[in-house]
Amino acid sequence: MKRATTQELKTFFESLGTDYDLRAPVKLHDGTRVLGGLDEGPLALEGGKIPQKPTSVFFPQFDEVFMVSKDGQFHAAEPVKKPIFVVGFTAQDLDCLEFIDKFFSENYRDDIYFNKRDGAVLVGVSGKCGKDGEFLKIAGGKCDIELISDGECFIVHPHTDKGKALVESLKASECGCGGVKMETLKEESDALPKDDEETIDKASELIRAGKVPDDFWNEIATRCIACTSCNLACPTCTCFEVYDREQDGKMVRQRIWDSCQLDGFMREASGHNPAGLQMQRTHRRIHHKLAADVERWGHRTCMLCGRCDDVCPTDIGIKSVCKEIVERYS
Amino acid sequence: MSVMTKTIAEETGGQIYQPLLCKIGSKRVLTPLETLFRIELPEGRELGHRPGQFVQVSILGYGEAPISISSSPTRKGYFELGVRNAGTLTGAMHELKEGDKIGIRGPFGTFFDAEKLAGKDLVLIAGGCGLAPMRSLIQYCEDRPSEFGKLTILYGAKTPGDRLYKEDLVEWGNSNTFACNYAVDGVPDGACFDEGQVGLITVLIPPLSLDVQNTVAVIVGPPVMYKFVIAELKKKGLTEEQIVVSLERYMKCGVGKCGHCAIEHLYCCIDGPVFWLNEISGIRGAI
Amino acid sequence: MKRTLTTCPYCGTGCQFYLLADDNGRLVGVEPSSTHVVAKGQLCVKGWNAFNFPNHPDRLTVPQIRKDGKLVEASWDEALDLIASKLKETQEKHGTDSIAFFSSAKTTNEENYALMKLARAVFKTNNVDHCARLCHSSTVVGLAGTFGSGAMTNSISCVEETDCILVTGSNTTEQHPLIGTRVINAVKGGTKLIVADNRKIRLADIADMHIRWENGTDVAFLNGLMHVIIKEGLADDEFVRTRTENYDELKTVVAEFTPERAAAICKITPEEVVNAARMYATAERAMIIYSMGITQHSHGVDNVKSCANLAMLTGNVGKTGTGVNPLRGQNNVQGACDLGALPNVYTGYQKVVDEASRAKFEKAWGVENLPGNVGLTVTTAINAAFDGELKALYVLGENPMMSDPDQHHVKAGLDKLDFLVVQDIFPTPTTALADVVLPAACYAEKDGTFTSTERRCQRVRKACDPPGKARQDWDIVGDLARRMGYDGLTYNSPKEIMDEITEVTPIYGGMHYDRIDQVGLQWPCPDREHPGTPFLHKGTFKRGLGLFSPAPYKPSMELPDDEYPFVLSTGRCYFHFHTGTMTRRSRLLDREERFPYIEIHPDDAKRLGIYDRFPVMVSTRRGEVKALARVSDIVIPGHLFMTFHFEEGAANVLTNNALDPVAKIPEFKVCAAQIKGAS
Repeated sequence: MKRATTQELKTFFESLGTDYDLRAPVKLHDGTRVLGGLDEGPLALEGGKIPQKPTSVFFPQFDEVFMVSKDGQFHAAEPVKKPIFVVGFTAQDLDCLEFIDKFFSENYRDDIYFNKRDGAVLVGVSGKCGKDGEFLKIAGGKCDIELISDGECFIVHPHTDKGKALVESLKASECGCGGVKMETLKEESDALPKDDEETIDKASELIRAGKVPDDFWNEIATRCIACTSCNLACPTCTCFEVYDREQDGKMVRQRIWDSCQLDGFMREASGHNPAGLQMQRTHRRIHHKLAADVERWGHRTCMLCGRCDDVCPTDIGIKSVCKEIVERYS
Repeated sequence: MSVMTKTIAEETGGQIYQPLLCKIGSKRVLTPLETLFRIELPEGRELGHRPGQFVQVSILGYGEAPISISSSPTRKGYFELGVRNAGTLTGAMHELKEGDKIGIRGPFGTFFDAEKLAGKDLVLIAGGCGLAPMRSLIQYCEDRPSEFGKLTILYGAKTPGDRLYKEDLVEWGNSNTFACNYAVDGVPDGACFDEGQVGLITVLIPPLSLDVQNTVAVIVGPPVMYKFVIAELKKKGLTEEQIVVSLERYMKCGVGKCGHCAIEHLYCCIDGPVFWLNEISGIRGAI
Repeated sequence: MKRTLTTCPYCGTGCQFYLLADDNGRLVGVEPSSTHVVAKGQLCVKGWNAFNFPNHPDRLTVPQIRKDGKLVEASWDEALDLIASKLKETQEKHGTDSIAFFSSAKTTNEENYALMKLARAVFKTNNVDHCARLCHSSTVVGLAGTFGSGAMTNSISCVEETDCILVTGSNTTEQHPLIGTRVINAVKGGTKLIVADNRKIRLADIADMHIRWENGTDVAFLNGLMHVIIKEGLADDEFVRTRTENYDELKTVVAEFTPERAAAICKITPEEVVNAARMYATAERAMIIYSMGITQHSHGVDNVKSCANLAMLTGNVGKTGTGVNPLRGQNNVQGACDLGALPNVYTGYQKVVDEASRAKFEKAWGVENLPGNVGLTVTTAINAAFDGELKALYVLGENPMMSDPDQHHVKAGLDKLDFLVVQDIFPTPTTALADVVLPAACYAEKDGTFTSTERRCQRVRKACDPPGKARQDWDIVGDLARRMGYDGLTYNSPKEIMDEITEVTPIYGGMHYDRIDQVGLQWPCPDREHPGTPFLHKGTFKRGLGLFSPAPYKPSMELPDDEYPFVLSTGRCYFHFHTGTMTRRSRLLDREERFPYIEIHPDDAKRLGIYDRFPVMVSTRRGEVKALARVSDIVIPGHLFMTFHFEEGAANVLTNNALDPVAKIPEFKVCAAQIKGAS
């Protein structure tokens, strides 16, 4: 396997720019890290997860559903000009993506999502490159290429044939340790604490067993200001609102991220609202990921990326709420 | 779960959000608020729906909304939508004229399964606007009465003036196919009501004589109605396995993606709108 | 994809985020700034949706001139030449003060500076004001009088460093959401919270005390607190002795406000007065957060001064975690005040009546004879128009038809004008009355700075082009000035304007773009090396000694009676901003609140046969509007609350144009109303 420096990886990514629409972790001028083009700021593979949901590459905040020209003809949203090459998914992010791939493909296939998703190349990032030196879990799959930091360089581990073919053009030295380094890193990854998993699974059990009373949700709800950040930052949140808007003489049907934390999310034209109380919406936010989706998909759909905890201004993200549930009701 | 009709799916080439433009064949005013639209697909094609399903109706510039189909697939060459002028889209729809084009996606959702209902005595209970989707099943029964046992229609509305499909109500009342019992919550000054009782729809249930083992009740109505009607039916001895409900939710996509209609793990658009009561009992917020 | 770091266009909290534009230059999203000192990677729902209105098809894209009663498309040359000649003609005929300019708390500092300079240097009038008149003019007057500076004394971060917070007349979680969340977190961490507000706002749910006084009895309550504090020896005697003056008068005035008397006026219990006084006064550090609930009264200045008195009495000024903290409602209302879009001051509150100030600005601007009389305010200008004294009005980015009290009066005033120019981003009820409408760039389409409620001057950056022929406000103003024969308003960029501002404005002396590139600075920031000022009045007040300015209780101007038995209060909701021009064109925000509504207590509703979500007719002596009833115990019996976002149910048809005698702020929070079911 190859072992590349950040500079070598940057050169590699740049060389792919003609064939791919490249998105990689870059640092913007106030220090915010985003998935952006290499022209937007220096490559910043270190620093852990990207604050915004990386799945927004395929399911952005705003998207066109279709357009109707002046002559009344329908025009489907255009497929992307170049396939997307995205770097920077953590192991949890890849779990999230795996789920929303399934979500968007089952029953009816969401062609707008797959316009971007089909043909995309996924590059995961793991190892010793988390925030403040934190070790990021090794994904070991679910992406085409994984970049595993050993603290100095990235071991480049292709997981798919496409990944292998692409990595051939990467100019970097071979790791040359006979796999010893990888072994050590994997051991370190396996040894990562599982506290968060245990807590959330326990909380999920308690919710499903009906052990969490409404009073609890009421209490959490008093701290919610309906900022919607938890939903908008969550890589497995897929809800959207649809509306028509005229643009340059054409009618464009558009969709934007929506949030189940808003009163209008379920409100019907009659005014009837099955989720008309903040408490019901707070309950839904957690219950959906930890109970409803378990029922529907066979697993919880919070992969513990921690983004809702980071963006929640009042500290009622899913991890923090689960901790409280376990402390109080188990 | 259903799939989008071939006719429309083929037309849009797998683009699940793209509507097919259909023609408004005719419009009939039902009440000051409600109008019945007869819609025709291009080239006389059939929508291919089942009773109880819905379509997503688009008016470009105003958006899209789910509307249940009011006519039975046994009536060929068109389908009908009974629409209340309640929101942006439905308001714009009321402004349209015969011959205007309207965008249709669908049909979507689960349906009143004639095969499972075959041979059963059916009690069809509709409240208010719930008669719109129920009408597709009533028409189906009307056209194929031999498939079912005894057919009873219960319909309740707020006032006589609010009653939908008044001509149909008369026709069904006069036909030998159905036993019809109607009610209104109240009669305003100056109005009269001699086609049934004054009272909530629940007053129509206790007097029914049911073959409890062989009866299925189907309920469609406003959210507040279900709890009370179900309680009355249970008193009559019906179990949750013998009750079918159709639920309404705010929806944007109709295909299980936008998330608005989720009731815990169920999506009203693809897992519903028609549910057997036992499928949703215990689900918070369903009823 | 292009990402542009900029400042949120909604409230005064001053969150920064990145605007995302696609390859066609269309805005497609928002990403919070993870490093920003206030936002910290977070945003409220309005911020998250701030990309959604700039490309709305309703945008004004071409200049329009009224011909034969109808607004028709015109060229910029045509429109600006007409404005120049009409304004000149009006002044020649009716005198220099026959025209007035309304600036805007939504535009940048540079643009406020440009418009105020246009009014003074070119048109020689001090008739320039902006909507701060309607929200915090009483703060500017009240705090300047007591402390010497009319701004929020402390920083937002101080909320995390205090032991007790008195929130009064501020629905913080809805109007300044991220500041509201700081309060929620502080309470979780043990800080005491007193919410003195008759609406059951979200913060009331977590408050240690929720005091639901009668609207308009603020002074009685605050005097009651001070009475208890003095009586129980809880005052900070050292602070009072060394840092303040006029204490004896305070003592005299509050002496009669026993808990019993205060409680009787406020319709609360004496225990509430006593307990609140103890809770606030015994805290090591206590802060007051207030907003429109304090300011928008005919006794708004008295309310503000009473807050200041309370803080001084307990020594809660001049250190972290304390202070009197008016939260400014608009993204740049602080800046618009700082930059002199006020009839009495140039930039940095340098008085127009002061000869030295005038001389300074005459020199800086290369003009002579700057006027020394204080000009008309937003509210008095409308009155002057109504009385036929004001003949022409230039409105930049304001919507007085919806934001000002007594809409019929405003319309009558505007109708009487000979000439009305409105420069805005969307059509509004005010542009509908204009003789010339100029299309302007919105926040996402321009460079400049906004100054947040904590006096933090931050960059605004251009993320996309304005639609059609719309132009940036400073550019339009400069063009008009040239047509008036003045080149001193011709700039190449907002940066040049800011460089000029730093030279003439001591408190902004160090606000150069290179210094505020990543993190904005808090004024006073007098020079290039100065690090900015997180809290004011450390060691000494701006005016030297803090001046106790006690006030007696004065009832509101219009109290309920048999004919109009309810107290009507107006304000904003979480999802909409001000007159709704932007938020009602943002899909999600519009969906959340789509209709005008009025809150009424269940007991009142029941008595009057009013049902939730059913239409009602609300009327006052000024007019009537239709709205949907929202039956809720968020209001107390006898009180109604309505938002003013909705053109189709405009609350300001109802409000009372009674003004505070000094600040000229209208009494939006109290008028007498009647309500009944409608069909």
